[in-house]
Amino acid sequence: MASIISITLKGIFRDRIFQGIMALAVLFLFIPSAASLSMRQVTELSITLSLSLISFIQLLLAVFLGATAIWKDIERRYTSSVLSLPLSRTTYLVGRFCGIALFLLFTALFLGSVSLLVIKASSTMYPPSRPLHWSAITAAIFFDALKYIIVVAVAMLMATVSTSFFLPIFGAVSTFLAGTITQQVYDYLQTPSAQKAISEVVRNAAQIVYYLLPNLSGFDLKVHAIYSIPLNTSGLLLTALYFVAYTAIMLAIAAILFERRELK
Amino acid sequence: MSALQRPLLLLIAGVISYGALLGPFTTYMKHKPVEEKLGYVPSVNLLRYVSADQKEFVGAALLMKIMMYFGGLMDRQDPNVIAERPDYLGMSNMIHTALKLDPYNMDGYYFAQSFLTWDVKQYAIANKLLEYGMKYRTWDWYLPFFAGFNHAFFLKEYKKAAEYYQRAGELSGEPLYFSLAGRYMQESGQTDLAIVYLSMLEKGEKNQAVKKNYQIRLAAFKEVRRIELARDHYLKAGRALPVTVAALIHSGLLSPPPADPYGGQFYIEADGKVVTTSRFSFAEAKNDSRNKAGEPGERH
Repeated sequence: MASIISITLKGIFRDRIFQGIMALAVLFLFIPSAASLSMRQVTELSITLSLSLISFIQLLLAVFLGATAIWKDIERRYTSSVLSLPLSRTTYLVGRFCGIALFLLFTALFLGSVSLLVIKASSTMYPPSRPLHWSAITAAIFFDALKYIIVVAVAMLMATVSTSFFLPIFGAVSTFLAGTITQQVYDYLQTPSAQKAISEVVRNAAQIVYYLLPNLSGFDLKVHAIYSIPLNTSGLLLTALYFVAYTAIMLAIAAILFERRELK
Repeated sequence: MSALQRPLLLLIAGVISYGALLGPFTTYMKHKPVEEKLGYVPSVNLLRYVSADQKEFVGAALLMKIMMYFGGLMDRQDPNVIAERPDYLGMSNMIHTALKLDPYNMDGYYFAQSFLTWDVKQYAIANKLLEYGMKYRTWDWYLPFFAGFNHAFFLKEYKKAAEYYQRAGELSGEPLYFSLAGRYMQESGQTDLAIVYLSMLEKGEKNQAVKKNYQIRLAAFKEVRRIELARDHYLKAGRALPVTVAALIHSGLLSPPPADPYGGQFYIEADGKVVTTSRFSFAEAKNDSRNKAGEPGERH
């Protein structure tokens, strides 16, 4: 398993993905000047832009790395040689997943550190109206990374059954978009107006979808980070447990499907 | 011809064409009218779903778009040129959308307060927005401060104003707001209070377009105050209403003559209230000057 993780990480660095991230990280340098256009919340806008940029980069990484890792190996017939070794398909799949997940955490650490410096610079130049909640900013970056690790798990699950990269990529993007709004849809369905307007069958179907899709809005702590709103510790713990359980389910299904897949 | 010659020739031709086009293209883009427009914004319900986990970013981007649009208009404001009336309805809709996406964003409330009240006179909408903001920004004294000012200055609802100023005082710990709360229990010194309000906003403002807006309005109110003081001296001297600005100037009580920075003309109503034909707006001043072109004299 450790060797698969190590190979995955080496492959990502060899593909110069990290250099690409570093090039994108140059955008952080422009954040303080862009944020200074704000009338009343320069530091808050710096945090918004920093977190949004991290989130966007992580989304691209999660979708493309998660969707192409397995597919590329099958396409190039690397799987044939790797799986001829005394190594189960599950170990291979989980190793690949852990490698990508570690890379996402490493990217979050790198980009997070840069963004903390940017936010510090902005807050020194334009002190915010409320003291900054550094732990909330750190938590927002960390939970964002967890969110995209779930997206990786979903993309890998789709890659195990797909013969092209279209399904994993578009499937992961769709799951991400749906996962960010399921909570809003669920909340709306609980309102009296929705109960009058929408039939029970549709509401029940929507409820099932709500439980099947990942609830990614729980991982979004940007408002807490930007406006220094206190975090709910027990809520965070529940979210972390949700992450572990949901990822485990996705990986288990992916492993079962991958074990049964016919590889040429 | 070697293998590299053709692409090299193509590259050189491309670079030359690009260099030749860059100037006219930049000029065309600079003067493109659509740049002035706020453009179409999808409904907030759609944006809420499409923006996924980037609601705060989308909200901030919408507000930035409005500020740049407004800043562009302000830079060209000149009393000698026909002013284009800003698309206030579009601005209001966009701010509402942005604040639905991120109800904590202070820029939205601040900017809405600046034009919904003075320029568009939509006090109810402005106050509703402030009330909405107070539900989220529970620590922020600015929102009740704005609401207090709107109730006292525009709506003449002094009891309500006092409540908001009390709240602003409690949140900020500033004794000034407690004293304003007391002052707003009665209608007195409206111009002075507007000057205090605008001076405070102007001092803390760093967006140059909005700061300029406040400076112009502040200058206009200071002129109004000068006329009011001259009027009071005139009345103290035993003379009675009605009085005209011209009479105050001729009597030596008002020197130098007042100038409305919006390009309008000050006049004194029959009850002694000092007003201006510009109604503190460039667009109004232009409308007024067009309507009464060739009509000399002062209003009463």
